[in-house]
Amino acid sequence: MQQPLVKPSLRFWADRPLAFKGIVVIALPLAILLGSLVSLYLASDAETRAEDDVRRAFAIQRDAYQVHALLAEAAAGVRGYVLTREERFLEPYRRAEADLPATMGRLDIAIEDQVVRGHFEDLRPVVAEKREGLRSTIELANNSVSISPADVERSFVANKLALDAVRSEIEDVQRAEAIVLDRRQLLVDEVRTGFLRLTAVSAAIGLLGSIIGVYLFSTGIVRRVSRLEDNAGKLARGERLSDLPEEADEIGRLAQRLGRASALLRAREDDLRASEERFRLVIERVRDYGIFTLNRHGVVTSWNLGAERIKGWHAGEILGQHFSRFYPEETRDYLPADMLERARDQGAAEDEGWRVRKDGSRFWANVVITALRNEVGELQGFAKVTRDMSERRRSEEALRLAREEAVAANRAKSEFLSRTSHELRTPLNAILGFGQLLEIAEEEFEKHHREAIGQIAKAGRHLLSLINDLLDISSIEAGATELEIEPIDVAPFLEDMHALAAPIVASAGLNFDLEQPELPLTIYADRRRTTQVILNLIGNAAKYNRTGQRVRLAADTERDFVRFIVEDDGPGIAESDLPRLFTAFDRLGQQDRARVEGTGLGLALSRSLAESMGGDLRYEPNSSGARFCFTLSRTHQQASQPQSDGTEIVK
Amino acid sequence: MTERLVDSSEILSRRILAIDDEEANIALLRNVLEREGYTEIQCLTDPREGLSTYIEFEPDLVLLDLMMPEVDGFELLEAFGRHDSADEFRPILVLTADTTIQARRKALALGAKDFVSKPFDVIEVGLRISNLLETRILYQRLRHR
Repeated sequence: MQQPLVKPSLRFWADRPLAFKGIVVIALPLAILLGSLVSLYLASDAETRAEDDVRRAFAIQRDAYQVHALLAEAAAGVRGYVLTREERFLEPYRRAEADLPATMGRLDIAIEDQVVRGHFEDLRPVVAEKREGLRSTIELANNSVSISPADVERSFVANKLALDAVRSEIEDVQRAEAIVLDRRQLLVDEVRTGFLRLTAVSAAIGLLGSIIGVYLFSTGIVRRVSRLEDNAGKLARGERLSDLPEEADEIGRLAQRLGRASALLRAREDDLRASEERFRLVIERVRDYGIFTLNRHGVVTSWNLGAERIKGWHAGEILGQHFSRFYPEETRDYLPADMLERARDQGAAEDEGWRVRKDGSRFWANVVITALRNEVGELQGFAKVTRDMSERRRSEEALRLAREEAVAANRAKSEFLSRTSHELRTPLNAILGFGQLLEIAEEEFEKHHREAIGQIAKAGRHLLSLINDLLDISSIEAGATELEIEPIDVAPFLEDMHALAAPIVASAGLNFDLEQPELPLTIYADRRRTTQVILNLIGNAAKYNRTGQRVRLAADTERDFVRFIVEDDGPGIAESDLPRLFTAFDRLGQQDRARVEGTGLGLALSRSLAESMGGDLRYEPNSSGARFCFTLSRTHQQASQPQSDGTEIVK
Repeated sequence: MTERLVDSSEILSRRILAIDDEEANIALLRNVLEREGYTEIQCLTDPREGLSTYIEFEPDLVLLDLMMPEVDGFELLEAFGRHDSADEFRPILVLTADTTIQARRKALALGAKDFVSKPFDVIEVGLRISNLLETRILYQRLRHR
């Protein structure tokens, strides 16, 4: 912000806080008043002193005159005494002898002026000489019985001369004192005049100072506050503020804050404008969406590149046109108005349907119209976003067909499996049935026929279990297996498994241990399939454990799963065989285990079943023997494979 | 074997109708039934004759295959059900190679009294047949009383 230059002298004043300025403005006239009072006091003091001086001058004149009077009276008395010898004529002389020292002493103290003192010092010997002359005249008269008239005359003459000298000196003193007096009276007049002038000037200065102070204080602040008010008004209107001098008092700080607020607002406004501009540019350049605006009546007011691409009109061709021309004839009459009304009422309206391009061709569009309102909620217009969905519609159609085909294929697969099962079982029924009838009637046959019959029956049964397992696996893999997921309490279920499998384990000559979990547990699984898996595992353990003494069935928890453990203390499984453990028809070590019956599908089927129920079947190395872990979920969940035939057995 | 409530000769004299499109299976059933001692046996390999034979022969028990060409076992089950009066107990034992739970449920829902999957155990089938016939005889006795 630009700051006008402020004079340094004014700057100091401007930076002071308002309270300081107030105190100064009030104190200035008070100080002037006080000053004039002090000068008034000093002036009156000086006048008093001048008047004292005048009074003292009068006293000096009076005393000087008294000296002359005393001496003149004393001289006249002495003259009379000498002539008459009468004592009463000595009275003035004696009075003069008594008063003169005091009067002279007073004069000595009172005289300050150097000129007067000079005359007084001249007077002092003359007075002393006169007194001496009067005393010697009296002595002369007393001592000589007869006094020659010449002597008397001489003495009188001498006295007369002395008195004249005294008078002349006193006149000098009085004259000098009169000059001093005049000067002092003049001084008193000057002091009085000066005092009056000072008083007038003080009053004038005090008045003026007060006026200036109040003017400075009030007009300065008022002017600045009113400028501040102007700026506040500008801020409210969003205009640029006029620059105010940077001052450190409250008003200055207020002005600065206002300035900062304005700068902040301006910066935000700039940001907003920039972001609006960016947004506008982005919108304009969007190609995949037609984005444009309508006024309140549905007339197009802006048009972006995407709209041009989708609909075919250039901005110049379409601006100012009503947007209903984007609709095909059959909906043009009601749908545009209906969309605007919905947008007006609900804030936005969405529609998916046919729209028309400039060239008249149709496209499948997804349209969202949003009402644009100002901050007080008045409708300003609408924003419309159009997407060309033709492509997506086509791909959705393709997807739907593909899905239908997949479902059909899946159904065909299920049907094929079901037919295969049926077609294999039907002839096997005759083979096994007749085989069984022959076995029942075996005493009617020769020994070698009996053996043949036994072989037929055994091979037939083996074939049946092969078919069962194979179809099971295929059906699980085809997703055609129906699972009846239900909550199963683990403890009683384990009891059942133990009871069910005990004869198998016992016939292998092994001990069968059951270890229940510590806590009551529940699994969500298909009971029949779970049983199938566990029996298969126990059957394997019993079959292949030729060296150990026991088979162990246990259950514990593993995160959200229950883990069933079937282990034995037999020879276990060689590490090299582990990769093929769950492979169909891969009976490990077949040559050595020729005596062991089995289809080679058991583990593969069991694992498929476990996985189809959302669980897992794995082999875990065990220090002694083989160990299989079969996990099932403790929570109800969707089975891993979808149902293909629409039946909803898994819930 | 436990003592029966019905004399075995009475059971063995009852009429049994077996319907299966597979010759070998019909032969097996006939063998099983004859070995048990049944005398009144009618066998059909063409299911289209199922209903007419059912009406003419008036069997006490039907052994019925499900998956057959032209007319399948379910249709025959429905037809037999429509023909019989509601208070008749004429047991039908379904013998089928269709092991799906749906087939089992559907057959039992349509009135089949028992269901055995193929390949079956011949002794088991023989026992189920005699049990069903015994029930029918007892039922008839109850009605005549």
